[in-house]
Amino acid sequence: MLKKLLAATALISAGMISTASAETIAMWVRSGIGDSFKEVVKAYNAGHENKVELTEVPFAELVQKYATAIAGGQAPDALSLDLIYTPAFAAAGQLEDLSDWAKSLSYFNSLSPSHVKLGTYEDRIYGLPLSVETSIFAWNKDLYKKAGLDPEKAPKTWEEITANAEKIRALGGDTYGFYFSGGSCGGCMIFTFTPLTWGAGADILSADGKTATLDTPQMRKAVDIYRNMVKKDLVPAGAASDNGVNFLSFTNGKIGQQSIGAFAIGTLVTQHPEINFGVTLIPGVDGKPSSFAGGDNFVVTKGTPRLAEVKEFLEYTYSLEGQKIMAKYGSLPTRGDIANEVLEGLDPRLKVGMEAIAVAKTPYTLQFNDLINSANGPWATFTNAAIYGDDVDGAFANAQAEMQSIIDAGQ
Amino acid sequence: MALVTLFFVLPVLFTVWMSLHKWPLLGAPTWIGLGNYARMFTDARFFNALGFTAHYTLIVTIAIFAVAFPLAIFVEKERPLVSAYRTIIFLPVVVGLASASLLWVWLANVDSGLFAPLFEMLGLTSGRINLLARFDTAFLTIIVMVVWKIAGFTMIILLTGLQAIPTELTEAARIDGAGRWQRFLHLTLPLMRRTMALALILSVTGSILAFDQFYIMTSGGPQNRMISVVYYIFNQSFVSFNLGYGAALSIALLLILVTLSVVQLWLLKVGEERP
Repeated sequence: MLKKLLAATALISAGMISTASAETIAMWVRSGIGDSFKEVVKAYNAGHENKVELTEVPFAELVQKYATAIAGGQAPDALSLDLIYTPAFAAAGQLEDLSDWAKSLSYFNSLSPSHVKLGTYEDRIYGLPLSVETSIFAWNKDLYKKAGLDPEKAPKTWEEITANAEKIRALGGDTYGFYFSGGSCGGCMIFTFTPLTWGAGADILSADGKTATLDTPQMRKAVDIYRNMVKKDLVPAGAASDNGVNFLSFTNGKIGQQSIGAFAIGTLVTQHPEINFGVTLIPGVDGKPSSFAGGDNFVVTKGTPRLAEVKEFLEYTYSLEGQKIMAKYGSLPTRGDIANEVLEGLDPRLKVGMEAIAVAKTPYTLQFNDLINSANGPWATFTNAAIYGDDVDGAFANAQAEMQSIIDAGQ
Repeated sequence: MALVTLFFVLPVLFTVWMSLHKWPLLGAPTWIGLGNYARMFTDARFFNALGFTAHYTLIVTIAIFAVAFPLAIFVEKERPLVSAYRTIIFLPVVVGLASASLLWVWLANVDSGLFAPLFEMLGLTSGRINLLARFDTAFLTIIVMVVWKIAGFTMIILLTGLQAIPTELTEAARIDGAGRWQRFLHLTLPLMRRTMALALILSVTGSILAFDQFYIMTSGGPQNRMISVVYYIFNQSFVSFNLGYGAALSIALLLILVTLSVVQLWLLKVGEERP
């Protein structure tokens, strides 16, 4: 009898252990980064005992929401964090140190270097690459054809882009040659506009992030290029007040050319198959291309009880299978060593996004939100004032001064 | 009383406590005494926000009264369909301010909205104008939106005041030979003092606390020229994560509001008997 009871207890406890081991990981992801992450979670949940429960948070509110959730003790186990915010959250001591585990991964050295760099704070690693996105230049091949341009020839300079835009605008009606979100969308503009100056060797911040270097001949030239296109009516009037909501205007088929993100390739291919488009690198003001390496880092909230499960999930996304699903929906491979294998058989335009990584930059600053992303920060204000305002010199002077004062106040 | 303590006094005290710290959203707060308040006096952006809020409050209050008063007089008289008029004018009030702002963002959208193509069709503008791209037109759009949204409410308040005036008084004045304008100036206005005070305080307080319309319709743009005080507090607290400084600004705003309300009550001499 006793034996039977013992056996039953053992059986029950064994059963309990196995059910208890099926954990649910709470994860957040920001909206607007395509479906790649959602799809990989779906695939993971289908094939694993542990489940990931995904919550989508509007991209503009993710930082606030996460910060308040931490303060209120309601934070998710892990989240997909815009990589530029990783330094600030790591510096605030809210993230789990992943250094030892990360370095034990056999493919650690082939993980996207700019992500790992931004995920590193004071020599410890807090964030690992989850999705990689670069900014690229896209053109609508059908509109090129209609305007009498060679649809297979990628423009190499901004003179060429402007001339093409004029021809496309000449088609009349609501067909426009170019688009950008010019209504103080700092995030959109750092992503698509700064590559014009990076390619030409200038930057808006010094390498150590401690001096604002906005007013350069390269930036002046870049501003002139955009101003000129606005003046010639090559850009829809709505762009002047678009705060990022209509960033993907290219998908409406009436925009001839636009700088977009590699995620958008996945969106265009899977959701707008009617748009026949080509992609190339974004030319700098002197023709040398550049790009913004963006995307998300995978970070883990400090002290989460489900660290092992989170790690298991991350290893799955790094597997060939996981990488392949991510890539299919537009996220570039985070592992350089298997990138070719991953992209094999997928849309060839994704390779352009991959090439961009080699020339891409990412600013490193703890004050990205204040300086760049905030709709009322100096960079966002500058892009609108310099391109649409009447006083270009004033726009440069104000933004330069305000950026420097924010940097100084944060030291 | 317990409810007031729980939901008003305690939060205010906690805000005061926070305002004496450097309190980041993430990480531990540190005591800095009156540092946040000292910083306020050298903060040009705060004064810009104050200036803009004052400008907005002045214009929008005048605009609301200029529309609401005639409307109140119009719907006070018994005439056919008067309750239909009252309902129609009051309808926008029941829409939330955020929803109203979103609706107007769409109306003002240059490509898919209503105003820009309408003005072009009427020949008022050559080509389509992006109303929200320039300060003057964007400001005007917001003022019109707020008047559309709020005037009905002010109208109802003023209407109750108008209806409280005894008909005998008006009749007596009429018999004494007072003209329409004289009756309004010497009879209606003085008798409506309390109602006016209520409507004015509500309107001024509401305007000083304005946030939704600027956040939703223009994101504080064009070029940051529409940052109201509450917007600035929001930015400091939840964009720059300086909760302590945001709290200090909130306390300053609270003091400004209390002062303004006291001044308005005193100016309109509410609480005293008529001289």
